[in-house]
Amino acid sequence: MTQTGSGFLTIHTEPLKSVSDIERTTLMTLIPGRIAGLFGGRRWRSLAPLAVLIVLCVLIAIANPNFIELRNLVRVANSAAVPLTLAMGLTFIILMGSIDLSVEGTLSVSAMVVVLLAANDGNGNDYGWWAVLAAIVAGTAMGFVSGLVQTMLRIPSFMATLGMWFIGLGLSVYMLGGSAIRLNDASIRDLALHRFFGMPLAVWVATGAFLLAAVIQYHTKLGRHILAIGGDEDVAKLSGVNVIRVRITAFALAGFFFGIAGVLAAAQLGQSHAVIGDGRLFAAVTAVVVGGTALTGGEGGVVNTLIGVLIVTVLANGMILLGISPYIQQTVQGLMIIAAVALSLDRMRLRIVK
Amino acid sequence: MKDRTISTRSGTVSRRTLMMGATAGLATLAMPRVLRAQDKPTLVTSIRSLSNPYHAVWKTGAEAYAKWAGLEHVTLVSEGNSEKGIADIKAMLAKTGGNMVLNSDPNDTPDARPIVEACAKAGAYVVTQWNKPADLHPKDFNPNYVSHIEFDGIASGKTIAEILFKTIGGKGGIVALGGLISTTAAIERKKGLDAALAANPDIKLLDFQVANWKSTEAFDLMGNLLTRFGDDIKGIWAANDDMGSGALEALRAENLAGKVPIVGVDGIKTAVDAVRTGEFACTVTSDPFWQGGMGLAIGYNAKIGKFDPVKEPPEHREFYGKAVLISHDNVEEYYKTNVDAKPEIDWNDLWGRVTGAIRT
Repeated sequence: MTQTGSGFLTIHTEPLKSVSDIERTTLMTLIPGRIAGLFGGRRWRSLAPLAVLIVLCVLIAIANPNFIELRNLVRVANSAAVPLTLAMGLTFIILMGSIDLSVEGTLSVSAMVVVLLAANDGNGNDYGWWAVLAAIVAGTAMGFVSGLVQTMLRIPSFMATLGMWFIGLGLSVYMLGGSAIRLNDASIRDLALHRFFGMPLAVWVATGAFLLAAVIQYHTKLGRHILAIGGDEDVAKLSGVNVIRVRITAFALAGFFFGIAGVLAAAQLGQSHAVIGDGRLFAAVTAVVVGGTALTGGEGGVVNTLIGVLIVTVLANGMILLGISPYIQQTVQGLMIIAAVALSLDRMRLRIVK
Repeated sequence: MKDRTISTRSGTVSRRTLMMGATAGLATLAMPRVLRAQDKPTLVTSIRSLSNPYHAVWKTGAEAYAKWAGLEHVTLVSEGNSEKGIADIKAMLAKTGGNMVLNSDPNDTPDARPIVEACAKAGAYVVTQWNKPADLHPKDFNPNYVSHIEFDGIASGKTIAEILFKTIGGKGGIVALGGLISTTAAIERKKGLDAALAANPDIKLLDFQVANWKSTEAFDLMGNLLTRFGDDIKGIWAANDDMGSGALEALRAENLAGKVPIVGVDGIKTAVDAVRTGEFACTVTSDPFWQGGMGLAIGYNAKIGKFDPVKEPPEHREFYGKAVLISHDNVEEYYKTNVDAKPEIDWNDLWGRVTGAIRT
């Protein structure tokens, strides 16, 4: 049914395209479009983020051969672990055409829970790995509430999750008393410090999160329903998809991934403070979008996001290796976002650019 | 049909919420009378947020002074929002009828002017810290604008750099992590580092990077710097402790913690602990406990006429406070008096930590 839905849409856009071609096509959209056409259009575009990643790696490696040292690749993987886990959750929400702004709030709640329940220097608790479980449950619960608020109170996801962001942040500020609490549980810290086949455990956890997300997206009904809702919610509803249930499940699932990311972040930094999530929302959204998942929903997926996260992480690593001044690094990142989206989005097919 | 039921119900809820909100609002309106009834001034602390350790300690210091002096104390939090910060202060001025003493860490430099003007108009006494425009002076608002306190960022940046250089034996490469580029503290501390570097030609600054005051950013950045410079990094200079602790965890992940010394500014607990274990070479703190309490003490003493601001010398009106250095030599002592116990400060010693007038 999903297939019929999107096919139906495509047929509708085709006749409009010839009209908009004359009115809206500019040189800038025309040339890359034609080049893309030569290489087989759509397929080329879906590979664009991967091409960007490869070109980026090659350029950095030429400029500084240290980049391809094993030690450095491990570091890149390590700094990609938290953003990847976060972005996995966010991908499902964006695929659905919604947005989850609660990333930072949920992450800080989860990091707060794990630190306060495991051995720490703020109170006498020492529940070991139960703390990790509790943190992931807390993350999932936050997502579940976002889902309920959105579907039951009919509040758009933007506002619902914005609210959850601040609720989560406030909660962790209150519980942590505004200070940074150290995580002293050695076995949880091992997530960042212990290595298995040369990679920190956090990287393996993130890889596990990616595989889980891939299975959910490509091999379960939930994954297909999320995509269907993102493609066209009305069509999905008419096809018998229980939209409300899928939405709530998707938000809970995102919360689950944010919860894992919170545990990883706390393990890496060895402490938790309320602002542990600062800047993570923007990084996660950037990674998802750069990977080629459309903010309008229905297009892209977790594999795209994996590539997006790697592009962002490799770029950050590369800019340091190349010695690019900190004063212009953000500018380069901005250019990168525009370039990646320009390459991966088929702008000829856009009827309206908002 | 189903949709309509839901929206109607949520309509009722919002009306009820409105009623509850209105009741709560009326209750708040009733409060100023209680506050106005008292003759003693209310002490008011205005800070950026409670989510950072620095301002959390600031608040404890303020409460300690209020308890010592036996006065009412209220904390206003701007959450990084200048408008909210100023509006809250104006609301407090209205509530207390100007019978208050304000100790403020303005959210942003320009905020100090409207805050001071509002206080002067209402007759309240105000002390500002860290942020004020260069052309705003306490002497222009006698007697209400009592003092402005800052800490010399250049001196801090230089002191910790010198200790770092000494720890690594006077030669070798270091990397530096700077704060948010546009802030005064970041600029001044870097100036201090540059001055120390100029005096020590055998020390090489391998790279200066910006981690925006955050441990998370410093963590990722440090990993990348290790790739670029590897074992050439002998020491790490961080413009604040939070970034220093992020760098420390990145070192720990590579089994380098304790082998590459780190220095920072602020004296947060993680850093003090790290000084004890030898992973940090030192940290320097402006002592937020003192800032929170003494700012109120100076304002209160002016208000009750213990001293006349007009007659005080310039270095009591705009001054640099004395920063406290925590290094290997004194960390145990510091831990005993400041971490295990609440610090004991002589609140009558108003000018004991004045190190000089602020550079213009």
